[in-house]
Amino acid sequence: MKPVWMTMLALCLATIAAASAQDGPSKDLQTAESRRIAAIEKVRPAVAAVFGPGGGGGGSGVVISPDGYCLTNFHVTQPCGNFLYCGLADGTLYDTVIVSSDPVGDVSLIKLLPKEPGKPFPYAAMGDSDKVQVGDWSIAMGNPFLLATDFTPTVTFGIISGTHRYQGPAGIILEYTDCLQTEASINPGNSGGPLFNLDGEIIGINGRGSFEKRGRVNSGVGYAISINQIKNFMGHLRGGLNVDHATLGALVKTEDDGRMRVTKVLESTDAYRRGLREGDDLLSFSDRNIGSVNQYKNVLGIYPKGWRMPMTFRHMEDDKDTIGGRRETLVRLAGLQAREVKEDGTRRDREQPARPPSTPAPQSHAGRKQYKRKTGFMNYYFNELERDRVLAGFDTFGKFDKKNGSWTLTGEVERPIKNPVSVVIDDKLVTLKIGDKETIIEPLKAGETPENLAAPDGSGGLAMALYHWRRFLIQRTTGFDAAFFYAGQEPYYPTGKAKEMVMTDVLQTEYAATTCKWFFEIKTGKLLGMECWLLPDTDPCELTFSDYQPRDGVQLPTHLTIRHADREFGYYKIAQATMAVGPVAQEKKSDEKKAEDKTGEKKAEEKKP
Amino acid sequence: MKYLLSLLLLSSMVGSAWADVSFAEVAKEVNRKMVKVYGAGGYRGVNAYCTGVMISPDGYILTVYSPTLDTSNLRVHLYDGTRHAVELVAAEPQLDVALLRIKNQEPFKEQPLPYFDLTKPIASGQVGDWVLAFTNQFEVAVRDESVSVQRGVIAAIVPFAGRRGITEANYKGMAYIVDAITNNPGANGGLLTTRRGEPLGLIGKELKNTLTETWVNYAMPLPPLADFAAKAMKGQYKRQVRDDDKAIDDKKAYHGIVLISDVLDRTPPYIDDLAPGSPAIQAGLKINDLLIFIRHPRTDVPEEMDEKVISSVKTFKDVVAPLAPGTKINIVVRREGQLLTFDLTLGKPIVPVTPPNKK
Repeated sequence: MKPVWMTMLALCLATIAAASAQDGPSKDLQTAESRRIAAIEKVRPAVAAVFGPGGGGGGSGVVISPDGYCLTNFHVTQPCGNFLYCGLADGTLYDTVIVSSDPVGDVSLIKLLPKEPGKPFPYAAMGDSDKVQVGDWSIAMGNPFLLATDFTPTVTFGIISGTHRYQGPAGIILEYTDCLQTEASINPGNSGGPLFNLDGEIIGINGRGSFEKRGRVNSGVGYAISINQIKNFMGHLRGGLNVDHATLGALVKTEDDGRMRVTKVLESTDAYRRGLREGDDLLSFSDRNIGSVNQYKNVLGIYPKGWRMPMTFRHMEDDKDTIGGRRETLVRLAGLQAREVKEDGTRRDREQPARPPSTPAPQSHAGRKQYKRKTGFMNYYFNELERDRVLAGFDTFGKFDKKNGSWTLTGEVERPIKNPVSVVIDDKLVTLKIGDKETIIEPLKAGETPENLAAPDGSGGLAMALYHWRRFLIQRTTGFDAAFFYAGQEPYYPTGKAKEMVMTDVLQTEYAATTCKWFFEIKTGKLLGMECWLLPDTDPCELTFSDYQPRDGVQLPTHLTIRHADREFGYYKIAQATMAVGPVAQEKKSDEKKAEDKTGEKKAEEKKP
Repeated sequence: MKYLLSLLLLSSMVGSAWADVSFAEVAKEVNRKMVKVYGAGGYRGVNAYCTGVMISPDGYILTVYSPTLDTSNLRVHLYDGTRHAVELVAAEPQLDVALLRIKNQEPFKEQPLPYFDLTKPIASGQVGDWVLAFTNQFEVAVRDESVSVQRGVIAAIVPFAGRRGITEANYKGMAYIVDAITNNPGANGGLLTTRRGEPLGLIGKELKNTLTETWVNYAMPLPPLADFAAKAMKGQYKRQVRDDDKAIDDKKAYHGIVLISDVLDRTPPYIDDLAPGSPAIQAGLKINDLLIFIRHPRTDVPEEMDEKVISSVKTFKDVVAPLAPGTKINIVVRREGQLLTFDLTLGKPIVPVTPPNKK
């Protein structure tokens, strides 16, 4: 009997062991654990320990591309200056240069410089923070308390405690909108480090916590800037710009029944020009419903200034009791940071908060070769990179530089009323003929008022826009001595409808007191459209170029849509186009000379310490 | 063979039980039954906000008893973003618990609210169990934003001994101690649940451990609180006699003055309540008087008088404690901007002090 019992018992135990190993809790635990370990192993090499010159300051970061672009917090880089150092988990310390800063969003983009040219860095992919749910697991990595002298990151782990959180600013900077709340330990030094999901994708950049009476150590409530917000700013960041966030220029209040009542609208804003008035109900912004002031700040806070986004509101008629119609519109966002008015009435962005003097980087710092100082930019070197990338992308549409003579375009107005149309543009004059009506403007004539330049009536400055279009195609960077720079990425609406949005790279030009934005489709490099402002805080003339066809060795649009304010001014078919090889040698020469001067200046700037 | 089969069955059951609902689903469901409470405070470390749990379909809310509730302008935000005025129905300082009710319950007759039914058997946690904590700590959420969710394990289940500032905490019952930092500002009144979202305990105040001086992350098991709530909802709850009321025993002189809860380092000595028929009532003191000054015979030389400014609740208690029954004292109070003096003769307790429930 005994042996039988023993066998039975052994069999029994073996079966239980097998059963629990196959489908018991331990197997699920093991799966969960190995998934977690795999995620950590995958991204650990991309987590950076950030230091200032002389080892001062400090925080964390995460490399997001093989060429070394790295995200961190503005409040980490701000005390460090423009030349930093980043240690990766492999134990190597890399020279690192500032690319751009977003003080309001508390984000900085920095670039690690490889020890051997072209050698790729380990990097982590960016996830979709809008898919993150309360209760999801999250992994925070970084260098809390600057513990790691070998740069290996510390890993903390916890669930997401909240999504779409709002944490107010310090003054006007460091405002956390639409951020993630995690219970993973966030301590001093974790700032700038990544928050990952279990797939090892970056869902946020850790930057602050709620502390109050427990001192500045983890209280179980940490916040990460959502990676989706950072993606909206990625163009601006890579362009070395001084980044600003957006405001609608309107104040709202939550009523007891949950309606968002507009209590004030600044008259200089696009929201006002689109018809938003005090007493109206704000319904949604960027397709997100708004039910609290926090949410209002959340939906606005994630966009750069100048972006154009869909907004829905219910307009209350003069008699405030009647419920007016629901209005959907695209609204351009104003800058958040205070702007000052110059003596001549034009405005310019106020300087960024002064950076405290930092230990100068040693002459050997590799970042010196990738840094260019210029007012209005964090690092102009990177703006030139992005600008040239966009221009190179448009090269496939042909070289226009030899077509610098008079341009004659003829065709037909297809909307609103059929009519023949023609335009002749040269360096001095634009002659636009719609039906019998002729408009002639001299864009460079001294003393010409913006009102005259806005011709024809209701277009917002079609003739002027066409003048700048030809100039832009022919002269590119040499044609706009006031400004020519990469302005980041923005949504563009070729049909004027919110649903048909295309992400574009934007160039911005200033010439002859006129500001233009040029929208290039990211996928194709195609110039989709431009906007032309004769005055700030007014509605621009918008041109949309479509149906590009080869003409005379270059690609030209065969259709042109002109919009101004809330309406379409016209839809033109360009049937014929002649672009003369022009005898404008005189001006070209002087432009070339200017270009040379500029290069000289840049070289001089580079040499500055 | 029977054993073998049952063992196998058991192990497979454990396996399937593990394949559980996600935290995200649990969080969504529990959040619908949590409320954000807004009341008095906003200065000197007293938060004007806390958390609450919906425990009936018509708007009864369980929360922690705190000075935040001491206002006629109490409001809650529900999970759907709607805002409602609420009133304090009953409170039990001994249990640190209070019951609130949404004033206008009409809408909920048509559309009942999601709630936790505490009349059903309540889960009990074991040491080592995973738990979730739902709170509006730091007032992170307003309106329809979801409350904060944290996860931890029950580290201990122990009789509670904590303190707030210089005073001992009222709550002396059992407590779930958790390893997550749950008891942050405004977390009081939040809910501790099992990992499946079954209610376990009410998250308490920000308190320190009396022995170690460290912050305690604790929750009060629900059964006694559920009992309180059930009675209070029927209007049948009688407040327990306070420990410190009992301390006014026959050996100590009796005045019948109940001051407001000593929550600050120097809590201003406002009269919160007066025992019926007490010397204080007979002297003419009234609720809401602020004690300013006391004059009393010296304990060592009774013919000489001692004078003292009453700067806090604690000062008053310290001054009165050594005085014997029969002692005649003067008390100066501030009432509606005037200073008034009252003569009071300390006596032996006539009736035990059982302050009536607050309206």
